[in-house]
Amino acid sequence: MGLYENIRSEPVSRLTLREPVVVSPEATVRDAVRQMRQGKLGCAIVVDDERRPIGLFAESKLTRMLSETPQAIYDLVLDHVDKQWPTVSLSDPISCVLAALEFANIRFLIVVDDQGRLAGLAGQKGLMEYVAEHFPRQVIVQRIGGKPYPAQREGA
Amino acid sequence: MSNDVSPTNEPEEFRDPLQNYDPKSYKDPLEKALAEETVTAIQCTPVATISPDTPVHAAVKTLAGMQVACLLVEQDGRLAGVFSDRDVLDHVALEYEQVKDRPVGELMTTDPIYVYENDSAAAALSIMAVSGFRHVPVTTIDQKVIGIVSPQRVTEFLRKHVMN
Repeated sequence: MGLYENIRSEPVSRLTLREPVVVSPEATVRDAVRQMRQGKLGCAIVVDDERRPIGLFAESKLTRMLSETPQAIYDLVLDHVDKQWPTVSLSDPISCVLAALEFANIRFLIVVDDQGRLAGLAGQKGLMEYVAEHFPRQVIVQRIGGKPYPAQREGA
Repeated sequence: MSNDVSPTNEPEEFRDPLQNYDPKSYKDPLEKALAEETVTAIQCTPVATISPDTPVHAAVKTLAGMQVACLLVEQDGRLAGVFSDRDVLDHVALEYEQVKDRPVGELMTTDPIYVYENDSAAAALSIMAVSGFRHVPVTTIDQKVIGIVSPQRVTEFLRKHVMN
């Protein structure tokens, strides 16, 4: 099947999901930032005792916070999470991820299992890898990045 | 002296060397777009730029105010680096008071991976999928900044070709 069919029929679990950075509701923004740095991830998810997502703190929120009230970095992260962050289930079709990333203008999507517990994080990179997997002859073989052309011709 | 070429010889009938060439056909519209369209088929403007001398606090305000995740740092009209939400997370957030007045050139990501405007759309996708960079600057052949490809813009490109 082609990408068109696969993206509608294959579940989110087929994507390479990222291991999320998880923080407790008692953590401060500074704690979350430290863990996000450690995990090399642009967001942290606050979960309850049963690992159900309460909200997501994204690096874009951090930038806004620093531009307005830098001292808020000492606040509880729970006061700054987005509690309406979109989620998808492991069994939802991949097309849900594509739609959510575009229409909600976000880079990460919380993935939950059948019980609503945090199962992972879907994002742009996983989606790009999925597309690249379908078209390796177009994507994987590309020269990575620009390199300035020589100012002088080489050779004799 | 002999002349091998007889003036009476009729010129051979011209035969197009490409007459049997079948242009590649693609089953999938996205595959065709990736192979045949340039990176500018993905929306890559507008783009927000700053100079390396911009203080970090001003760059942070620009990121937040313009609601963008990445600024291109330009020097003499050429790409010098990028300053993104990730740089704020990694180098600024916990050290804000110490670094806020320093020039962004000291904390930006230098030598970003970029694409030329004539590169294929697949090149931008490759940088995201293989190298893991989310924002890919687009430049002319002489390194002048003309745009940036963001994750949202690539997603829009994918949806346009996959869902339509």
